[in-house]
Amino acid sequence: MNPRVYDRIYGSATALCSATSILFIFVIGLVLLTYSYPSIVVNGIRFFTTVTWNPDLSGAVTTLNGFKTMSNASYGILVFVTGTLITSALALLIGVPVAIGIAVFLTEVAPPKLSAVVSFLVELLAGIPSVVYGFWGFLVLGPFLLQTFEPFLSEHLYFIPVFDGPVYSSGLLASGIIVALMIIPIIASISRDAMARTPKELKEGGRALGLTDHEVTTKIVFPYAKSSIFGSIMLGLGRALGETMAVAMVSNSAINELPKTAFYPINTMAAFMAQSLDSAFTDPSGMYVHSLVEMGLVLLAITMIVNVLARFLVRQGFISGAETVVRV
Amino acid sequence: MDTDFHRNASKKTLSNTIIDQPTKTWYDSAVTSNYKLRRLRDKFVKSFTIVCVVAVLYPLSSMLYMFVYKGATLISLSTITQPTIGSSSFVSGGLANAIEGTLLLLGIGSSVAVCLGVMGGVYIAEFSRNSSLAKGIRFGVDVLAGVPSIVLGYVGFLLLVIYFGWGYSALAGGLTLSVFMFPYIIRTTELALRKVPDEVREAAKALGSNNATVVNRLTLRFALPGIITGILLAISIGLGETAPLLYTASFSNYVPSALLQSPVGYLTYVVYVFSQLPSAEAHSLAYQASFLLIAIIVTLNFAARVLVQRFSKVT
Amino acid sequence: MNHIKNVSKKKAVSAGTAAIVVVAIIVVAAIGVYLTMVHSQNGGTTPSSQSSGTSFQSSTVTQTASQTSTTTTGLPATLPPETISETGSTLLYPLFNLWVPNFTSMYPSVKINTAGTGSGTGISSAETGTVQIGASDAYMSNSQIAQYPSILNIPLAISAQGVFYNIPGIPNTMHLNLSGPVLAGIYNGSITYWDSPQISELNPAAASLLPHQLIIPIHRSDGSGDTFIFTQYLSFSTPSWNKSIGFGTTVSWPSIPNAQAALGNGGMVQAAQQNRYSIAYIGVSYLNNAEQAGLGYAYLENRAGNFVNFSPENIQAAANAMVPNTPKDERISLIFAPGADSYPIINYEYAIVSKNQPNADVALVIRTFLTWAVLSQYGNSPYFLNQVHFIPLPQSVVQLSEEQIAEIGAQ
Repeated sequence: MNPRVYDRIYGSATALCSATSILFIFVIGLVLLTYSYPSIVVNGIRFFTTVTWNPDLSGAVTTLNGFKTMSNASYGILVFVTGTLITSALALLIGVPVAIGIAVFLTEVAPPKLSAVVSFLVELLAGIPSVVYGFWGFLVLGPFLLQTFEPFLSEHLYFIPVFDGPVYSSGLLASGIIVALMIIPIIASISRDAMARTPKELKEGGRALGLTDHEVTTKIVFPYAKSSIFGSIMLGLGRALGETMAVAMVSNSAINELPKTAFYPINTMAAFMAQSLDSAFTDPSGMYVHSLVEMGLVLLAITMIVNVLARFLVRQGFISGAETVVRV
Repeated sequence: MDTDFHRNASKKTLSNTIIDQPTKTWYDSAVTSNYKLRRLRDKFVKSFTIVCVVAVLYPLSSMLYMFVYKGATLISLSTITQPTIGSSSFVSGGLANAIEGTLLLLGIGSSVAVCLGVMGGVYIAEFSRNSSLAKGIRFGVDVLAGVPSIVLGYVGFLLLVIYFGWGYSALAGGLTLSVFMFPYIIRTTELALRKVPDEVREAAKALGSNNATVVNRLTLRFALPGIITGILLAISIGLGETAPLLYTASFSNYVPSALLQSPVGYLTYVVYVFSQLPSAEAHSLAYQASFLLIAIIVTLNFAARVLVQRFSKVT
Repeated sequence: MNHIKNVSKKKAVSAGTAAIVVVAIIVVAAIGVYLTMVHSQNGGTTPSSQSSGTSFQSSTVTQTASQTSTTTTGLPATLPPETISETGSTLLYPLFNLWVPNFTSMYPSVKINTAGTGSGTGISSAETGTVQIGASDAYMSNSQIAQYPSILNIPLAISAQGVFYNIPGIPNTMHLNLSGPVLAGIYNGSITYWDSPQISELNPAAASLLPHQLIIPIHRSDGSGDTFIFTQYLSFSTPSWNKSIGFGTTVSWPSIPNAQAALGNGGMVQAAQQNRYSIAYIGVSYLNNAEQAGLGYAYLENRAGNFVNFSPENIQAAANAMVPNTPKDERISLIFAPGADSYPIINYEYAIVSKNQPNADVALVIRTFLTWAVLSQYGNSPYFLNQVHFIPLPQSVVQLSEEQIAEIGAQ
């Protein structure tokens, strides 16, 4: 065959394969928008401001704005959005310092052999499936928090407003800690790679000027790796927002209740979606399904913004030789 | 003048030169105490990093103990040969159906994802690296990688299971999984191909092969370790996923009899659901499934690392 | 020179490993597909070990089946090879797990998947056609029937639900008396402590043992038939609950901070075990598990004002009062039955099945299984029902169920 023709075919075939990425996004967007449109029309802005999630399954079917819904149904995702944001914020609060601490340990403090071993262990943490984290949280972390740690916080640190109150549940803290454990490997490995790429001359110059080790790290290495570190934090945030199974197993599934202290149960969008879809078709008007899909759309929008921002920052790191592909 | 100088010079006797007693200047004390503070801060930061590492390794070791050690003690040959069966303690038996189902779902998912991903990566790395189409595709891949797994599961359920009417099936689950794995593979393929130095391509062109296809096959051979690494990592990621499969493959105690309309069991579902059943057998199966998952994922990660080391040793 | 040697060595290495890995992937996928095909041809690995527990029963059952001709019981001698799926009620799930090994040993060509995912899922999946049999403790509402007119609700047994609690100070030989209004108060947050006056005045003997601790009410996070019957009990006994919250497989639980949710009856048992001073509604098929977890159960106030437990006699008394009202489509609530001894929370266990199955073979298998389940010498025999603390369907209801089963056919 004429090489040029072969070239053309090969080129077109690979182009088609790569274009499937756009096709997939298009399909995902189309399905989500089609199935959530009735909910967008019927629920409107109240969807984002109401705390009550009431499908009113035993009510009567009525029509509102041209779509069927139940007579007293009220769909509000405020509880779930709050839960998602709180879990992610707590995960970042705990995870970022620890992860950067680990990255500093791996690049500056530890001798190379120890660094390789600890590196491997930290990446092992990344590979553990989400349901196994949830299982561990259900058996170990949840009871520990409920019976030991939270009563301790409540008794001794009650002057901090967020710890002031009776211990109702371990949901919020357990979710935050488990998601923190999941995002630490992402942030740690990308930060470690970025920090390891700091030119030796810069660091040696710093030492020559009399800086101590930690000053070399904070004043020379961090500014150099700043954008990659920040990008990895955004990647970790993207992972935290979409985390489903582990949170579903430890969050104690709050409903209609906004957390007021750290000892409340919570519920996140992803976890609630995972638990509710299979019974959603019992709603004869179908609005339950439409509302769940709209919740998925909201989750997708939030996660997408965070992830796209993150990849603009981290792309430099990816291209210049990070062999670690991180799970996000 | 000379006499002044000599007179002044003679005043500087040996006794008051800076040999016995260093002259105290105004900045000496400041430097010393500040330096001590900096040394202290240095030690503090170093111990903080060690505390961080310990804080992370503790849950890891707890998990490893529970799932690797306990799971290994519970595993037996019947785990791999016996299927799960309903019983008076809710579930008992083994995990044969879940293991076979996981293999089937991963097989379908990775076949589709590898074909699309590697070919797609070749395109954006070799054929049109900087065109606007390639930029758009890269952006699309970034977006796709950020889609939460439960949203993907929803789309798979609504489109494949309900709208197309495939029912809970291996094909629905496998395809949803492949959409999940696809961004990783295409990204690592592109990375691996870009790392191949341009000299290789120029050498091939200089030797006379003028078409992109042959050049590309050459660079593919060079980039293969990186691509394989990416595939192994994508498989290990797909292994640990539940949300895309919850509503597309459901669960089954039997190996599916067809690729459509027949639900499939998989290991992560075992961990998710059987951990909630209040019986010792159910928990034992959940432990064993956790062990299998962790063991396979560790092996895949280890293999990927070995490949990476071989790759980086030579370039 | 060195560079070229390394390159060629590396090419050999990488090509080798690449080939191995790619071949491995293809082989794995092929094995998976092959196993699928093999199993579909051979009828699959029929689990033989599980019938060891029920082997005595199954041998007598098969003897009976072979002695009596198919006309007396209406069950065919053999069935075509089919796999059907059941999902739904966690309350019915333990009974299904006892039925299926027995049924499949009678008909080895049939495979039945069981899962406990909640009655909401059972109804949903039967409506969308993703499973053949949906199990549910709740019947479909009028609007659901209007939406899916070809779905049948077929009772298979009569079950009950208990209210369990985890109070360390109270021995399990002592049972607290609780009423519908008190439970409504607990679940809507107006009664917060175990030693509240409303609870103490119902339990004068145990009043001194009631601790001053916050009650942790646990409800179901999934669409649940147990939620349906529990909230029906609250609605029928407490008008304020009926007006504000009502009943359903999912309800908008009032927002109280100490409320928790759990997945499935099994999750309810584990959550109640983990949280001291909690209270949970759990189906009687989990009684053994709940007792092993150290939970105590309550005597509930029935319509006549007496506090009764879920003994078979009390369940039977409630059934006797409500069963005669069962309509042809068998959708009826048995909650809060009149009668001095009636236990207030009993219900039919429904199989939610579509009248239009994809083909005649599947329809035949479903009809056979459901008939087998309602017959008193097979599924409804005391051997099975006693293990889950259910009572059998009365003959009149068996008749109605069989009439509905006969409507299942192919499109």
